[in-house]
Amino acid sequence: MAAYIDVQNLSYSYPDGTLALRKVNLRVNNGDFLALIGQNGSGKTTLSKCLNGILKPTDGTVLVDGFDTSTASVAEMVRRVGYVFQNPDHQIFNSNVYDEIAYGPRNIGLREAEVKDRVIEATRVVGLKDEHLSVHPFFLPKGLRQRVAIASILALRPKVIIVDEPTTGQDMYQSFEIMNFLTELHEKNGHIIIIVTHDMPIVARYAKRVVVMAMGQIIMDGPTAEVFSHPEELSKSFVKPPQITRLGQSLLTYGFPPNILRVEEMAAVVKEKMVFTP
Amino acid sequence: MEIVRIEDLRWKYSEAREYTLKGVNLFLEEGKFLGIVGPNGAGKTTLVYTLNGLIPYRYNGIKKGRVFIYGHDTEATPVEKLTSWVGLVFSDPEAQFTSMTVEDELVFGMENIGLDRKEIKARLEWVTELTNTASLLEKPPYELSGGQKQRVAIASVLAMKPKLLIMDEPTSMLDPIGRETIFEVIARLKQEEGITIIAIEHNLELLAAVADDMALLNDGQIIFQAQTREFFNNYDLLIANQIYPPEVTQMAGILRKEGYWPGSLPLNIEQARKQISKSLVRAV
Ligand SMILES: Nc1ncnc2c1ncn2[C@@H]1O[C@H](COP(=O)(O)OP(=O)(O)OP(=O)(O)O)[C@@H](O)[C@H]1O
Ligand SMILES: Nc1ncnc2c1ncn2[C@@H]1O[C@H](COP(=O)(O)OP(=O)(O)OP(=O)(O)O)[C@@H](O)[C@H]1O
Ligand SMILES: [Mg+2]
Ligand SMILES: [Mg+2]
Repeated sequence: MAAYIDVQNLSYSYPDGTLALRKVNLRVNNGDFLALIGQNGSGKTTLSKCLNGILKPTDGTVLVDGFDTSTASVAEMVRRVGYVFQNPDHQIFNSNVYDEIAYGPRNIGLREAEVKDRVIEATRVVGLKDEHLSVHPFFLPKGLRQRVAIASILALRPKVIIVDEPTTGQDMYQSFEIMNFLTELHEKNGHIIIIVTHDMPIVARYAKRVVVMAMGQIIMDGPTAEVFSHPEELSKSFVKPPQITRLGQSLLTYGFPPNILRVEEMAAVVKEKMVFTP
Repeated sequence: MEIVRIEDLRWKYSEAREYTLKGVNLFLEEGKFLGIVGPNGAGKTTLVYTLNGLIPYRYNGIKKGRVFIYGHDTEATPVEKLTSWVGLVFSDPEAQFTSMTVEDELVFGMENIGLDRKEIKARLEWVTELTNTASLLEKPPYELSGGQKQRVAIASVLAMKPKLLIMDEPTSMLDPIGRETIFEVIARLKQEEGITIIAIEHNLELLAAVADDMALLNDGQIIFQAQTREFFNNYDLLIANQIYPPEVTQMAGILRKEGYWPGSLPLNIEQARKQISKSLVRAV
């Protein structure tokens, strides 16, 4: 089966000469809920921006649904891959929430009636209320601003949604809310989700597949439990598995598995061992 | 010696309808490490803005109650004096940047307080090493990755060697090992130089390992403050306020509810590992 996004030998240099990506190969498939992790400056944000054509390859190709990002139009790209910025405040520039969400659809030339439908749909999906529509985005708390940013992407109905650091600056409760919401988009509406993050407990809980970057290259790619059971390999990219996974790994001699991902799982294993150890 | 004292502090931003701080009392002794937690919008950032004079000098609003640094009422103390004591790492690193290169960004503050060239050079080497930013000196700060920006923001404040170091979500964009390194660095600064630290974080894994005391702020008030170990032992209160302790603490909290965890709750992997292996060995 053809991959939805096919990245082939992608290299990217910034104008000042910084080589941020070196011959990256990656296939993103239907059904993926993928976390992109790795060291600061390893190229995660750069790669994400290449996936929807904000940045064009210096070398190599990125194919999205058959379209080559270096030649496809902006309209063709934004309908397929949406990117929510690392700091959503950098993407919000309209003076009320309605116009902010309507900006994308208007920009690709939709009629105002269609624009309105899309804004209302996106607003409903992200759980914003009607009364929020007239508010200036900067008067909303962080969690809601994040939702406005996601809604403005959703209004373009892209297949792939990339969120760069969705939980940064959010308290745990808000983090779970956002991630549950992305999971719903994935499971109910069939979106491919890519999150870029340093929040390992969130990766462990939500991502099905993990791609690890170091120095502009992909150094690991696999199912979440598999990737997190190789701590030495991960440390090359300044990453550590979640604390609960590491606790399991420190108890291998007592028969604990090396790939426990969640707190509740660990609690169940400990309990079982306490009950059944004679 | 007392470094911070806050007495019944209330603050309302002029554009806000309600008071953001609703009667905060806080006391901090020099050389201590205080962690502050609380949900989004609780008033954490607002609270630390009152310590370096941003409130009330830069923001407009109504202030009641008093804030003292080294016994000086902040409202009767020149801002320059406050900023010479208090260094603040902003949660948004870009809010801090004023220069065209990372090097200027780091040097600017030091020149401003009149350090000589030799001292500036020595401190520059020191902070870039600690924060792994030496290779970025030539770059404009806005052409960095998110985590690199945050490293520069931390470096520029550390270079000033403040007596009170305040960090507002300082590691939210750092990779996991970078995050650990920063916490190790500030814990060492506390030990070796006796500086006082206030850190706000949502991720409590690292804070729990280094803080002497923890305070929970919710809806403009400090609901609970205690020594770190005791703080996290009040598991139900934290959960009720939507605060999630470190994962190993959560695990033990779940087991304790079901009667499977004797003793106090662990705060790090080592404590958890010891307690688990002990009870398994005993069972054998
Ligand atoms: N606008 C820019 N101009 C020049 N270099 C840049 C620019 N943006 C990023 N870089 C550099 O490109 C490299 C990759 O940056 P990128 O933002 O992709 O990293 P990242 O993996 O997202 O890191 P982080 O985890 O810190 O967000 C870094 O060395 C960074 O300094
Ligand atoms: N300049 C301002 N004018 C008006 N209201 C403000 C201003 N800054 C903050 N507020 C309000 O004060 C309250 C507390 O904000 P503050 O930023 O101190 O919270 P916080 O605990 O730091 O939250 P977070 O975890 O999201 O950083 C919020 O309701 C916020 O909307
Ligand atoms: Mg990034
Ligand atoms: Mg804050």
